[in-house]
Amino acid sequence: MKRSLLAVTAALVVVAGGLSGCGEKPKAANGGTYTSIDANHAINVSAPINPYNGASNAFQGYNAMKLAWPMNDLVDLNKFYPGIAKSWDVNGDATEVTIHLQPKAKWSDGTPVTAEDIKTSAAVAYTQGGGVFALTPGTAGALGDVQVKGDKDITFTQAKGNKNNTFLNSVLQTWVLPKSVYGPQLPDNFWDLVKTATNADPAQAEAGKAARDQITALGKKLVAFGPQKDVSAGPFVLDSVNPGEALLKKNPNFYDADKIAPQQVKLRNYADNQAIWNYLINGELDSAPYTSTPTDVVNRILSVKGNQKITGLSQVSAALAFNESYAPFDKVQVRQAIAYIVDRAQVQKIGEPDSGKVATHTTGLIEDAANKWLGAEQVGKLNAYNVDKGKAEQLLTQAGLTKKDGKWFLADGTPFTFKIQVPAPFSDWVAGAKNIASQLTDFGIPVEAQTSADFATYQSEMAAGKYAAGLWLVGLGPSTYNAYARMYGSANGWAPAAGSVTRNAPKPKGNWINSPDTADVAGLGSVNPGELTYQLSQLPVDQQKDTIAKLAQFTNDQLPMIQMWNYVNVQFVNSTRYSKFPPNDCDCLRLPHGVWMQLGYLQKK
Amino acid sequence: MTIAPASTVDTPAAAPAVTALPTSRRRFWRGVWQALRRRPSRLFGALVVVAFVVLAVIGPWLYPARLPHDPDAIYAPMSLKHPLSTDFEGVDVLALVVTGTRSVLLCAFVAGLVTVVLGTAVGLFSGYRRGFADSTLMRVTDFILTIPGFPLLLVLTTVYSFGNPVQMGLVLGVIGWGALARAVRAQTLSLRERGFIEAARGLGLPTRHIVLRELLPNVAPYVAMNLLLAVTGFVYAQVGLFFLGVLPLNTNNWGVMLNFAVYQGGALLTPAALPYLLAPLGAILLLTLGIVLVVDALDEIFNPRLRES
Amino acid sequence: MTTLLRRLAGHLARGLVMIWVVTTFTFFLVQAMPGDPVSAQYELLLQQGMSPDQAEAQTAVTYGFVPTGSVWSQYTHYLWQLLHLDLGVSVKAQGVKVSDQVLSAMPWTVVLVFSGILISFLVGVTLGVVAALRRSSATGHALSLSGSLLHGVPPFAIGLILISLLASASGMQIFPSGGSVDAEYVPGFNGWYISNVAWHAILPALAYALSTYGGWLLAMKSSVVSVLGDDFLLAAELRGLSPFTRFRYLARNAILPLFTVLALSFGLMFGGSVFIERIFNYQGLGVLLFNSIGARDYSLMNGAFLLITIAVILANILADLLYTVIDPRVRRA
Repeated sequence: MKRSLLAVTAALVVVAGGLSGCGEKPKAANGGTYTSIDANHAINVSAPINPYNGASNAFQGYNAMKLAWPMNDLVDLNKFYPGIAKSWDVNGDATEVTIHLQPKAKWSDGTPVTAEDIKTSAAVAYTQGGGVFALTPGTAGALGDVQVKGDKDITFTQAKGNKNNTFLNSVLQTWVLPKSVYGPQLPDNFWDLVKTATNADPAQAEAGKAARDQITALGKKLVAFGPQKDVSAGPFVLDSVNPGEALLKKNPNFYDADKIAPQQVKLRNYADNQAIWNYLINGELDSAPYTSTPTDVVNRILSVKGNQKITGLSQVSAALAFNESYAPFDKVQVRQAIAYIVDRAQVQKIGEPDSGKVATHTTGLIEDAANKWLGAEQVGKLNAYNVDKGKAEQLLTQAGLTKKDGKWFLADGTPFTFKIQVPAPFSDWVAGAKNIASQLTDFGIPVEAQTSADFATYQSEMAAGKYAAGLWLVGLGPSTYNAYARMYGSANGWAPAAGSVTRNAPKPKGNWINSPDTADVAGLGSVNPGELTYQLSQLPVDQQKDTIAKLAQFTNDQLPMIQMWNYVNVQFVNSTRYSKFPPNDCDCLRLPHGVWMQLGYLQKK
Repeated sequence: MTIAPASTVDTPAAAPAVTALPTSRRRFWRGVWQALRRRPSRLFGALVVVAFVVLAVIGPWLYPARLPHDPDAIYAPMSLKHPLSTDFEGVDVLALVVTGTRSVLLCAFVAGLVTVVLGTAVGLFSGYRRGFADSTLMRVTDFILTIPGFPLLLVLTTVYSFGNPVQMGLVLGVIGWGALARAVRAQTLSLRERGFIEAARGLGLPTRHIVLRELLPNVAPYVAMNLLLAVTGFVYAQVGLFFLGVLPLNTNNWGVMLNFAVYQGGALLTPAALPYLLAPLGAILLLTLGIVLVVDALDEIFNPRLRES
Repeated sequence: MTTLLRRLAGHLARGLVMIWVVTTFTFFLVQAMPGDPVSAQYELLLQQGMSPDQAEAQTAVTYGFVPTGSVWSQYTHYLWQLLHLDLGVSVKAQGVKVSDQVLSAMPWTVVLVFSGILISFLVGVTLGVVAALRRSSATGHALSLSGSLLHGVPPFAIGLILISLLASASGMQIFPSGGSVDAEYVPGFNGWYISNVAWHAILPALAYALSTYGGWLLAMKSSVVSVLGDDFLLAAELRGLSPFTRFRYLARNAILPLFTVLALSFGLMFGGSVFIERIFNYQGLGVLLFNSIGARDYSLMNGAFLLITIAVILANILADLLYTVIDPRVRRA
């Protein structure tokens, strides 16, 4: 025993001595390291440096650039900060966009960024699909033609036929990819293939399908492709990745390189919000993305020297949604009664105390956006559904329900009870739903909050119509079409088709809200919300006010959902190493922090 | 674990109807009492276990079906009204712990029972029969042992939603009986070479009798201790799954409290929600302590060699 | 030697069959999961604040990676790929090879598992001997009690407590609060990298060790107590051998049955490492599997399951072989 113990100790000493000798201690970067987290995806060592890949090592705003960065405007979806595109001209009816690139834009290997690179980017975007780069002929708002007009100028034209007012927005958010890397991956006749694929002529249908299949197959190959060494047009270049973090070094060829203060950026991996809070409390992060944080943790984070909070607008609202195929939710009086019973301020206080504001009016938009569109006075005239138990009882009786021994019963004698379903990982939704359930139970309607194991289960079962009630995100602006489509779009059976909108029969896969086609609202007459919403996708921004007013009033009266709280974008930053963070309510708050640097923020202290 | 000495074998002479317990059993219970008294900590353990079982049975009757919530008293400081503070909605934590005992213990007990019944049955049968039955049953046991338990549970929770503790217990139990089956089989294999089994076989007694009346009482002590230890293991498996968030969070279960305390209350980072976190942890600890002490006592009863003064 | 080889061959054959059975079972179970990767990804992107158009664009290409066709044809295709040692491509990280992801995550889990179990075993066994030799005194009783008590506390709970004490809230940042290693260190067999890895691995391994050493302690104690009563020890004492030699005989014999359990627990911990990895932000196989379940990344799930199963089976085979090697009494054919 003694001998073997001696042998083991000797071996350990030798190994330790040998190990400490080799290798180099890495040098600390002067000019500073900026540590942050990219919330869009986890750090994945094997992922390609390709912004289209779901796990990619091309980080938005750092080493992956777009043509322009969307401003977080309340009402206008076409406001952008310049990115690789310095400026752009739009023709009269917004069907043609000419983009002028930054004159000094260069790739990290020294070559300039040209319009040919943008054309290649558009080609790759076609292979990936989505947005205006749709291959199916007749898609609303699809891209028609791409023309290189000069070294730094390129024109995008919308296809004739189906107009859609998100054209500019979609084009400007295209990823910018280098032709040197992706060009060789595309076949020479690629643009001819696109022409064949998007040809709506029925005589060419077979050739068109073959072309579409070829492009889609190419898309599958391209999404997993990435260069060995990063070629970046952004302020940073990817240096190395390990499972815990990604290291990016400053790109000296970036067109605004003198605005960028940090010499390197570390993007750390995180498992859940708990890890982010831990990092913040240790002062290890210079900035963190939005997380839904409990009040006490916020206070704890802010008590650490240097930590600060930046708040801003978030066009997201959490609403209690009803499946109107479950009685008695088909009766508008029942939905209105529930709105009168539930104290939404309490729900917000318990569910989202710090990163949320109570939703005073249910309009389909967040409160601030509704005020901007319609004016605070007009919004104030809508029903705020303040807690009024008496009114609620009246409405329930009107709907045919009866109260016995403090509990409510449906017209056919069965007790009025239901379950609110929420996904378990969203602890703020679970807390909010539990509180709604408690309040309703106190009133006399026994309600329980139930959880689904994970988000994917929740989402698929909700789409299949299995839940009577659940939580749903609405108000997703600034595009008002997108916001209202959450209530009156595919989840409710309305699907856009050539030139208008069609209604799917209740309860096929995907339609779980099941509102009636039209409803009568005092002062508006009979309204078809699906059609109105579709109109929003056609009208330019300055002509949308009337339609929005109608939809807001309709939503406020018919209540297919009851908005509980509007999210507030809360981000934490640490000012010990860097200063000049964006102010509260900045339009840039929802952009990646690499873009903050490009806008001139985040200077060295 | 060694097997109890042969004195626990049933003897036909204990038959006649008497009002008092047969002598061998009376001696057994006296031995239990002595073992418990030898170390007072064991008595404490037994009391704790009994207390928890009582709480499991009567706990939910002590409080209204829907616990009252108070939005103005979120994470209230500890006071006489809320001795263990409150949760994110203002519900009293002590009430949550007491009413949660039933679902935790029920699930763990059902799981333990399923594990023990399946494991012992498979182990005894295959160990005694050998041959084809043995190898097939052992292949099945290997299969159960090889499947990674927690990942399997993670997938199962999305496929089925486990509404109540009994369902959860069944699933947990069905996944976990492999190790016990192997151990019981090992013991059976060595037992069957013993004299009294040979005698029983020579007498032509049927398999059922041999397995139930001869083999089972000999492995029973080991199985009993395993049942108790399995209960602790399943308590912590449940709590772990609730903590990860994959089991439905609508029951008053200690694991649910842990999940909310950490993710909604930030209990690890701020002191406000700390009682909400520590109360269920403390309950788990206390329960484990009690069970462990009882198992310690049982160990000494069934393994006289440990009975040093 | 040939009997050993024959036995090994038999174990391997059985192991392969078992791998096939478990893989088939998990494949069909995974098929039964509700939800699909595309809509889950889409809604999650919306939650993070992306506009619906952008989210749709980002998830559009994922459609191509979701397996189609009847369940049976997917299964045969999967088996065919497996025979070529091809684990397929991931759905969420579109097109990235599953084998790349799984094999890069695996070493981290192995580091955790090995260090955790080794520490736990060494501490537990040593304390177990002490507890057995002093079982009638207060020390022995306290040791057994501490072991069994901590055994009942879930490892992740201990992990949470360790983090708050040693890595964050108290302000003492002795250990890193998470992650596997810092990015500046060049991976390779050099001192700086290895020491940094070890630095990050201490807390997770400690969390695991603290919650499991009790099991080893009790098992060793029980084993020592049984060996104490054996005749050969009495004979050794009568022969006048030194107490230290007698202790050696005791320890060696008592530890025998524990080795098989040690090998088995390596396998078991692979499946249960997800808790510790999540808490410590350690990018191992457990977290990979957990995330792939949430994202409904079918091929990645199957790949991770497969690897964990292989680890468990290898551990089992090792346990069986080990027992025949170290215990001569079992070595008879």
